[in-house]
Amino acid sequence: MTADVQGTAAPADASARPVLQASDVAVHFGGIKAVDGLSFGLTPGKIFGILGPNGSGKSTLLAALTRLVPLTRGSLTFDGQPFHHTSPAKVARKGVARTFQTVRLLSGLTVQENVELGSDLHGSSAGSSAGGSPLRRLLPRRGVSAPAVAEAIERTRLTGLEKLRPGELSYGTQRRVEIARAIAMRPRLLLLDEPTAGMNHGERREISVLLQELRGEGLTQLLVEHDVQMMLDTCDYVFAMNFGKLIAEGPPADVVRDPAVQEAYLGKKWRQHA
Amino acid sequence: MSVWFDAHLVLVQATFVGLLLALSIQFPLRMGVFSFAGVGSYAIGAYAAAITVLRWEVPGLVAVAVGALAAGLAGLPLALLLARLGGLYLGMATIAFDLILTVVATNGGDLTGGPTGLFGAIADITMAQIIGVTVVAVALLALTERGRMGRRIDAVRDDPELAASMGINVRRHRQAAFVVSGLLGGCAGAINVLLRTTVGPTDIGFGLVVLALTMIILGGARSWLGALIGAVVFTWLPSLLAVVGEWQHVIYGVIVALAAIWIPGGVLGLATDAWRGLQQRRRLRELATARPAETPAAQRGADEEELAVLEELVQETSVETQR
Repeated sequence: MTADVQGTAAPADASARPVLQASDVAVHFGGIKAVDGLSFGLTPGKIFGILGPNGSGKSTLLAALTRLVPLTRGSLTFDGQPFHHTSPAKVARKGVARTFQTVRLLSGLTVQENVELGSDLHGSSAGSSAGGSPLRRLLPRRGVSAPAVAEAIERTRLTGLEKLRPGELSYGTQRRVEIARAIAMRPRLLLLDEPTAGMNHGERREISVLLQELRGEGLTQLLVEHDVQMMLDTCDYVFAMNFGKLIAEGPPADVVRDPAVQEAYLGKKWRQHA
Repeated sequence: MSVWFDAHLVLVQATFVGLLLALSIQFPLRMGVFSFAGVGSYAIGAYAAAITVLRWEVPGLVAVAVGALAAGLAGLPLALLLARLGGLYLGMATIAFDLILTVVATNGGDLTGGPTGLFGAIADITMAQIIGVTVVAVALLALTERGRMGRRIDAVRDDPELAASMGINVRRHRQAAFVVSGLLGGCAGAINVLLRTTVGPTDIGFGLVVLALTMIILGGARSWLGALIGAVVFTWLPSLLAVVGEWQHVIYGVIVALAAIWIPGGVLGLATDAWRGLQQRRRLRELATARPAETPAAQRGADEEELAVLEELVQETSVETQR
């Protein structure tokens, strides 16, 4: 079974080869079709969004793209290479980073260490200066952090909070730590599951600006978000999902005006305002 | 000092053996692997060292190396077989492994000495060598508690799914835990058999599982330092409690029960929490005094939010401490 609407690469740069291509992707849990035959491509350097009501399969789709849940059907390619049989760890090493719907930080580690966990993907936290010896990479180097860590901390406005632990932070700040950790992985594709949940308006705006900056640097992003204004402000192209299927796609402003989307996700109230 | 040392040599030696045994259980636990195979490794190490000494009369350190390697190698197929299991099921499977080894030792004929075990495994092993082997093992483990490796192990234990998303091969880490546990347990068993010159099926039973676990529960499961505290306490406590005669077992049990109830993180966890509480207060003071007027409004808002969370935490900590 295929989706009602077949997604395509973003029209802004249709000639570019998609960083990620999903073909007829389905994830079924017994009789529940959480994701049911989605096909789409993510072209480089764009921000894509996924809209949809609760339970529409957005987070399951992200889990499938990072191989945390197995595909029931379909295939995935990253840079043209199939990866639907690849382990989650290998997917991360290929350059796919993600944040989670609920904040998942290591409570025993400081902000700095949590972000370093992301940069560890590329070797010692001391960066390339630590050398290549496995034993040397094991040795902790106090006060030295990889440029990726320092940069991620600065960009997510966590400077000054490095020594705090997640339990000492507000929920919105914990979200920023998650984003910093993902950025520190220096990914080629960043998947963000409701990254601004729990943030105030100012913080949301800052995250939106940060994501647009990252887009300017060529980072492809896929954003799952309930905040429609955030989608309108941030995304280049939006997919709308309901019951595991794509029901609409296109520029954000067009998608939120789509009657099917308004009925499925936004409700009649929004429809009257639109 | 020398007189005291000579008088307590057996206890000092037992402390080092106990530390290595506790570490063989603790290292997998640090990765969230609920395995007691370290005790089985202790048995393999003990028998391998004893057999090597009895048949080829090798030096003590060589016998220790053989014992550790034999147990480490045995850990590899065990890892492949059991790495998919988790929690209680893994614990039960590894206890079964330990018990199977007891049965094998009992029925091993001339190789294992049968129910009476092996005697006369005499090889030179000095206190300095025991300390040297233990220090090397502890130093390597201490490295795994910090830096990149420490973070990755924490991630594998606390959130395997997150760890995988960070590019960490969770299964390989868990498999490695079995091998390292085997090396440590084998080392403990080999050293012990060379000190006692004998090993039998009754020396490698379920009692060792209980002993190693109590050491970790009281000392702390997250660091080698916890295992050291546990090893010292539970090696020396029975002799210190000898003055109370038959009551020593009751007091021993009460201490373990109280430790499990009141200090689930062990003595080390208690000390770590206290240290973090102090650090938290210091950071609170720093944040309170270092909020310059020129800080952007948005940043100031975020800082104030952190400050409110911190103040709440410190108040909670103070109330807990007063209780």
